[in-house]
Amino acid sequence: MTNLSPLTGSADEGAPLAGPDPDPSPGRRPRASGMRALVPTWSPKLATGLVLVLGIGLFGLFGPMLVGDPNAIDSMGMTSPSGDFWLGTTQTGQDVFAQLAHATRGSLQIGLLVGVLATLLSAVFGIIGGYVGGAIDEGFSLFSNVMLVIPGLPLVIVIAGFVPVQDRGWWTIGLVLAITSWAASARVLRAQTLSLRNRDYVAAARVAGEKRWRVVSVEILPNLLPLLASQFVFAIIAGILAEAGLSFLGLGASGSQTLGTMLYFAQNGFALQNEAWWWFVPPGAVIALFGCGLALINFSIDEIINPKLRVPKPPKGDAAEAIEVAVAPVPIEGAAAEAPAAPGVVRVEKRRDAVLTVKDLNVVYRTAQPVHAVKDVSITLGRGEILGLAGESGSGKTTLAYAINRLHRPPAEVASGSVTFHDRDGGDLDLLTLGDEELRRFRWAKLSMVFQGAMNSLNPVITINEQLDDVLTTHRPDMPRAERRARCEEVLHLVGVDPARLGSFPHELSGGMRQRVMIAMAMLLDPQVMIMDEPTTALDVVVQRGILREIIRLRDELGFAVVFITHDLPMLLELSDRIAVMRAGEIVEYAEADQIYDNPTHPYTRQLLESFPSLTGERGAFIRTGERTPR
Amino acid sequence: MRYYARKLGFYLVALWAALTLNFLIPRMMPGNPVDTLLIKLQQRGGSVGPDVRRSYELLLGADTGDPLFQQYAEYLGNMFRGELGVSVSAFPAPVTEVISQSLSWTIVLVGIATLLSFLVGVVLGTVVGWKRGSWLDSLVPATTVLSAVPYFWLALIFALVFSSSLGWFPRSGGYDVALATGWNYEFINSAVYHGFLPALTIVVSSVGGWLLGMRNMMVSTMSEDYILTAQAKGLRNRRIMTRYAARNAVLPSVAGFAISLGFVVSGSIVTEQVFSYPGIGSKLLQAVENSDYALMQGIFLVITIAVLGANLIVDLLYGLIDPRTRVEN
Amino acid sequence: MTALEVRDLVKDYPIRSGLRRSTLRAVDHVSFTLTPGRTVALVGESGSGKSTVAKMIARLERPTGGEIVALKDDGTPVSDREYRDHVQMVFQDPFASLNPFHTIEHHLARPLRLHGRAKGADDTRRQVEQLLERVNLTPADTMAPRRPHELSGGQRQRVAIARALAPGAQVVVADEPVSMLDVSIRLGVLNLLARLQREDDLAVLYITHDLATARHFSDDILVMYRGHVVERGPADDVILHPRHSYTKLLAAAAPNPDERGRSLAESPGAISQEDLTRTYDHYAGEWRPFGKAAPIAKALADPAGTRRG
Repeated sequence: MTNLSPLTGSADEGAPLAGPDPDPSPGRRPRASGMRALVPTWSPKLATGLVLVLGIGLFGLFGPMLVGDPNAIDSMGMTSPSGDFWLGTTQTGQDVFAQLAHATRGSLQIGLLVGVLATLLSAVFGIIGGYVGGAIDEGFSLFSNVMLVIPGLPLVIVIAGFVPVQDRGWWTIGLVLAITSWAASARVLRAQTLSLRNRDYVAAARVAGEKRWRVVSVEILPNLLPLLASQFVFAIIAGILAEAGLSFLGLGASGSQTLGTMLYFAQNGFALQNEAWWWFVPPGAVIALFGCGLALINFSIDEIINPKLRVPKPPKGDAAEAIEVAVAPVPIEGAAAEAPAAPGVVRVEKRRDAVLTVKDLNVVYRTAQPVHAVKDVSITLGRGEILGLAGESGSGKTTLAYAINRLHRPPAEVASGSVTFHDRDGGDLDLLTLGDEELRRFRWAKLSMVFQGAMNSLNPVITINEQLDDVLTTHRPDMPRAERRARCEEVLHLVGVDPARLGSFPHELSGGMRQRVMIAMAMLLDPQVMIMDEPTTALDVVVQRGILREIIRLRDELGFAVVFITHDLPMLLELSDRIAVMRAGEIVEYAEADQIYDNPTHPYTRQLLESFPSLTGERGAFIRTGERTPR
Repeated sequence: MRYYARKLGFYLVALWAALTLNFLIPRMMPGNPVDTLLIKLQQRGGSVGPDVRRSYELLLGADTGDPLFQQYAEYLGNMFRGELGVSVSAFPAPVTEVISQSLSWTIVLVGIATLLSFLVGVVLGTVVGWKRGSWLDSLVPATTVLSAVPYFWLALIFALVFSSSLGWFPRSGGYDVALATGWNYEFINSAVYHGFLPALTIVVSSVGGWLLGMRNMMVSTMSEDYILTAQAKGLRNRRIMTRYAARNAVLPSVAGFAISLGFVVSGSIVTEQVFSYPGIGSKLLQAVENSDYALMQGIFLVITIAVLGANLIVDLLYGLIDPRTRVEN
Repeated sequence: MTALEVRDLVKDYPIRSGLRRSTLRAVDHVSFTLTPGRTVALVGESGSGKSTVAKMIARLERPTGGEIVALKDDGTPVSDREYRDHVQMVFQDPFASLNPFHTIEHHLARPLRLHGRAKGADDTRRQVEQLLERVNLTPADTMAPRRPHELSGGQRQRVAIARALAPGAQVVVADEPVSMLDVSIRLGVLNLLARLQREDDLAVLYITHDLATARHFSDDILVMYRGHVVERGPADDVILHPRHSYTKLLAAAAPNPDERGRSLAESPGAISQEDLTRTYDHYAGEWRPFGKAAPIAKALADPAGTRRG
């Protein structure tokens, strides 16, 4: 009867909750934490929820004092609502409104009791089990799972059936309902506790010498509060619904007056047959509205637990004005901002014909305070060239890469500028004005991408073959099956992965292997440009070297151009033909790799270079001289 | 294989726990159910031989002087042989016969309704999650109202509107009693006609949970890198939505099926009561009203076994759709 | 003058596969000593066991075999109760190692209180501010009441370093302390650690995968691969004149703009057959067999994936 699945409250058990992001992209504000983070953000949903819950709560609290005797029998019998009886009377002439007030109080009481007891039980089994681990956890977890699969209501009915009516007290019912309803929430709490237990700050507290109970109560528990609150809210709804069902079946606490007993009497008083809607509609409506109110409050709590669920809101105010503000020229520090005009660059552009031209591109995150993530960026990618895009987190390098292929998502928006693709077969494509279908056809066929986390770039539940084949069936619908298969095997072979691996799932491959598969996938349609966003960052240096080797070799063989994005400047110096150094959305220096290394002109480039101590060269100014740049 | 072995083992433990609970509950409760039962049996004209008494004592417990462990062993033996005793309310029919008459009604009703609501909820959740931020999102709070509505109340409203007022569907029962039971068109038609409102009740009140769970998972899944990759690959939106987003987002819904199924089964018991549906839920309540303890316990066991079996099937299915469960660690 | 001695450290993790149970040896007979004022770098890739060594020293993991003894200035062993006063740790990810729920003050005041270094609220507050000033988080009185999310990555890591100093530790284990930070602030944090080491005469174990910073930041280097120490010696000797083929492989694979001329397409190499069972010691200038430790599995000898099957 409690048809609310607790799953909805914890749709994301497995995902890390509110984990801080080591690489916050521009426009994402720092996540609120601490006490303030536990207060839900104000929203119409939350307001409606609070009004419903408070309204019904107050009705249950004070209503019974203001109405007459709910049990007073009157010979008038069943009457429809009127001025004297707002919700009419029952078949024995009792005031339905008075009954509703008392019944609401009864239901709220039992709901609160069940909520408290069930949450306590689930906290004990979930949190303690999750933290202590080992045999206790296994035992607790098995117990909760068994309790979870044994259907609750039939069990409650059987227990109630054995307990004589006179012994069925308020507490008994509350306890039985709590015992049969805590398990789901214990499972959710355990999953979250397990994830919190492995956080570094818990380890740090242990290293500091904190006692176990303090680690649980001071370090872990506060971070579980939103989840506990959400589970508590669910337990209340579940408790009210379960009790109502039990009472409706005539198995509730003896002598109690709840919304369920009202419905029981309505059913047995033939309210339905007499179409006396005023008798049985209001009690159900009160339950539904109260449950709905709690569920709405839970929405807001869920958004704290899982920030992904928040719907990004467009900022208020005039959008056009915002663009003006955003694109307003920003003073560029350092004379080297004019680096593109440097002689070396001109020479390069003469030498190669271009495959991709980005001109004065501006990308803005339209958040409450607009962030100008990419400012007036112009780059030219020559055919077969490797262009390095260097920058730290928040420099806008990834935003730029995504904007080229229009993969940026709201609130990011291209404010101005142009991206032109110069096709091998002649003809230019303006990527920013391409229609949706044309853009879809363009993607991967002419320009493919390799993303940072190969672990996450591959769909975990379908095989490598299906993911490669997907590209071919979409872009080459006429290609026969056998040819597609042969092409997939061919590209895997190109990157040094055994074609027998086609049938594997991503989790069956090592990190390096997955990244090779991603590169193979990027080559499927023989594209002219590949954008690689930190393709080797998560890998060990030795594996990284192997993959860089593959990229260079394939570029030499197949002649595609590469935009290689990374914070690792030394790697770019070895790998790329030209390098663009980005900071705060601007390209501060753009020149050939040799020139960047031997003769950097912008102070930031120099600072970045100095940040990488030389492996085999002099120690330089860096070592152990105290702090150069105190922050 | 390890995954399947573990799941099978778990459900065996759960089954054992349910059997044990069934054994302990009557022994822990006040009163002497055996005597109550036997008196009722005699009133109905049943013969109370020592063997009948003995089987009730094993089921319900009494001060027979036998050690608890021996009672437990004999009880388990009886259970495995399917000896659940004689029903008092349907005397002289044995409990197993009463159950088998009503079980199929409930299984068909609950099975079809659950499947429907799962499918509808997941499909709607996929679309609402995919089009996050559009007007469809306003559907989400609306479904919470549905989730918070008590099943039986919804059943009452449906009965009021669709049968009492509009007269579209019958008010109660599982089939037209004038017809002979059998596998013919007329009878099945009548069963579907009678089962429509109870099924509608179950679907309407459980669809919101699936929808919301699926929607939330879709939203989470859509920020995964593989969705971005799929977009960069130039795949069509429909394909990304189904094969990449929904395919992954549905996993927690399937994994959480156990929780939801328990709720649906509970809800159906009350729904059956409202519509006087000839299913196992109505029988359970009849048993409680008549203090037919043997039938009560038998039904509890059968419901539990059915739920465990359904969960086992879903878990095995999960092993098929999530390749990661097949990892040999 | 030994601050911490590690002898024949072994760590096994149980792995279950079906019904069979086996163990994975993450750390295989590792020994070294830490001395006040000196830094030892433990260099290796993921899976080398370097972080497991750190966790065992910090007593977050229990060793399967071997021993870890912390020694006081007078040479007597530190008791179990005092161990956490003596040995502290700086974690890799400053975004994860500070509790988002608590203030910066909480993170520093707790260890001060726990180890009896501060008495009463005023004294605690004064010492917290002193610690913040030592790690250049000024003005200290406005930093203390903030929460981690209000700080940048570099600032957070400074708090984490201050926390490690709070109990008056003599040994600091720094597990990849800068790998999660933006490149331009990494050296600042490392230099801060170097200054504090000088001021307090700390023994530091610097765990990293970055050969370049290991060379410049530490006095001695131990190279680990799959649980084994394969090479040890003074920092410059190990990096500039590597002897073990794995160390050579690592050095060849690391990006090095000074050698831009070399062809990226050439193979970084693999581990030679005889090096699977031996380790090179630059202090003694000789090869040594693994002894009690097991040989490196042949399957692991080609991490670069250069030999295609």
